[in-house]
Amino acid sequence: MNNLAPIIISALMISLMGGALSIFVVLKRLAFIGQGISHAAFGGVGIALLLGVHGATTAGAIGQLTIVVAFSILAALWIAALSRSHKGRTDTAIGVVLSASMALGFILFTVSESRHAHDDHGHAAHGHEDEHHLIEEILFGNILNTDWNKATIAIIASLAILAFTWFIRRKLIFWAFDQPVMDAYGLSSKRITNIFLATLAIAIVMSMQIAGVVLAAAILVLPGAAALNLTAKLKPAFTYAILIALAGAGLGLILGFQAHYPVGPAIVLAQSIIYLATLIIKAIAIRS
Amino acid sequence: MPPAFHVASHPTSAAEPAVRIQGVSYTYPATGIDSNPVQALDNIDLNIQPRTKLGILGPNGGGKSTLIKLILGMLKPSKGSISIFNSTPTKARNQGLIGYLPQRIEADLDWPISVRQVVTLARTCNRKPWTKPSNEDREAIDRSLELVNLQDLADRPIGALSGGQLQRAMIARAIAIEPKLLVLDEPMVGVDIAGQQRFGQLINTLQERLELTVIVVSHDMRAIAAVADRVACLSRTLHFHDAPEGLTPAVLAQVFAHDVAGVFGDIHIDAHRAEDCDDPSHTHTCCDHEDSDKSGGNQ
Repeated sequence: MNNLAPIIISALMISLMGGALSIFVVLKRLAFIGQGISHAAFGGVGIALLLGVHGATTAGAIGQLTIVVAFSILAALWIAALSRSHKGRTDTAIGVVLSASMALGFILFTVSESRHAHDDHGHAAHGHEDEHHLIEEILFGNILNTDWNKATIAIIASLAILAFTWFIRRKLIFWAFDQPVMDAYGLSSKRITNIFLATLAIAIVMSMQIAGVVLAAAILVLPGAAALNLTAKLKPAFTYAILIALAGAGLGLILGFQAHYPVGPAIVLAQSIIYLATLIIKAIAIRS
Repeated sequence: MPPAFHVASHPTSAAEPAVRIQGVSYTYPATGIDSNPVQALDNIDLNIQPRTKLGILGPNGGGKSTLIKLILGMLKPSKGSISIFNSTPTKARNQGLIGYLPQRIEADLDWPISVRQVVTLARTCNRKPWTKPSNEDREAIDRSLELVNLQDLADRPIGALSGGQLQRAMIARAIAIEPKLLVLDEPMVGVDIAGQQRFGQLINTLQERLELTVIVVSHDMRAIAAVADRVACLSRTLHFHDAPEGLTPAVLAQVFAHDVAGVFGDIHIDAHRAEDCDDPSHTHTCCDHEDSDKSGGNQ
């Protein structure tokens, strides 16, 4: 049980944070930006690997996380800047950042792998396998290797993001509701966009611990999308999103542990099923 | 038939203008490899007296939106200076002295947010996060909703309002900060004549009750006529005469006829002297027909 506690706590904390942010992500139509950022993080992992920073030790784990977070924030700000220069064509910006980062990440993986093979004569095959396992972990997440060190980072980061979001909630809601006029009310829409995307980048890197590059953004989308099927009121929307996120995480953890499914994908699948359920509830409510 | 105008009693010229624009030009930088900088405004001078309602009439692309952005401090003049209530536009805006109704409502109406919450946000978005709206805030918000007659719909989701109600909600948001200057950007696009008159009455009521200075910008003379008691014409340069006479329906009809005829281009129409346009000897002072022909030929 002692091994499971950090896993369960991390999954619930990260889901809680994802649930709160997901309302903004869904309403501000940032789901695809989330995908862009998480794939960009893959490039960050590649850079960390090339620099020889990896998660085997606590210092290495923190170093790797710092590099990945920094790279993801840069990618997020770059997406924001590109969308501004493309007059709001965010999809182009994300397409560029996503592919460039994935390409960079994979090249750096290969480079660091060949170095590895070069350094350890005769152990190349073993290294190759390791790299592939690592890539799979980064792409789809492996929450099962969460120890208390990783859990502590996840708890602190999630609480910090939640507190910060609460702190700037009015500006965020104004921004997400009506960005074009917010400058007229003395708020800088550019600054808020950058701040939120940077926050989102950190949140996505945290979610990658659960669900990896490919599924991380789902944790920041599904709860909000489901909650908004159930209500058109502000506070209930956030409450439902958080409850749905936690319920999905709980279900996913149980599925993962009991049926030996991979936990991250199980959580994403559980949240997806809840989302489908809310769609049906909405359809029935509209009809009756 | 444009509505008759009431000529507001103008403050003496000695009064400090609400808005003072001196020698302002603005040029947009080139946006791409094969584009050139575009001058949107050229040497604009304009004083707007407190508690007056100024209409700025001009063709699309005539610089109206640019002028609004400059007044709101969202752009900085390339040349010249702007002061709003003796302050810079940015300061005036950040002090909540300027209420703004955008041309198009681009708000995300899917947001799970009530009318009252939208209006409240405008007042509280710059507050410390741990503070709650004060009694004074609540009173100002209630008053704003009442003035636009939305008090009964205040708790509805914003997405459930009709177009007209939505516009009134946005006006409530603009006046909730208790501004001294209200800027309306093309407020009546797609609104029928009865709607325009109702809108004009609403703005008149707000102006009187809240002692507002109002700027309404439009390419549509009827929209200007429904709100403004004075008119300036903007097409890169601005023609405005701080003359005491108001606009008569005849004058409005005259200017409006020009608008419909599509003679706007590089020409400038001065509403206060629009009747002179009938007199061929005045054509070069108000409506340069040569220019209009040229611009027509270019299109």
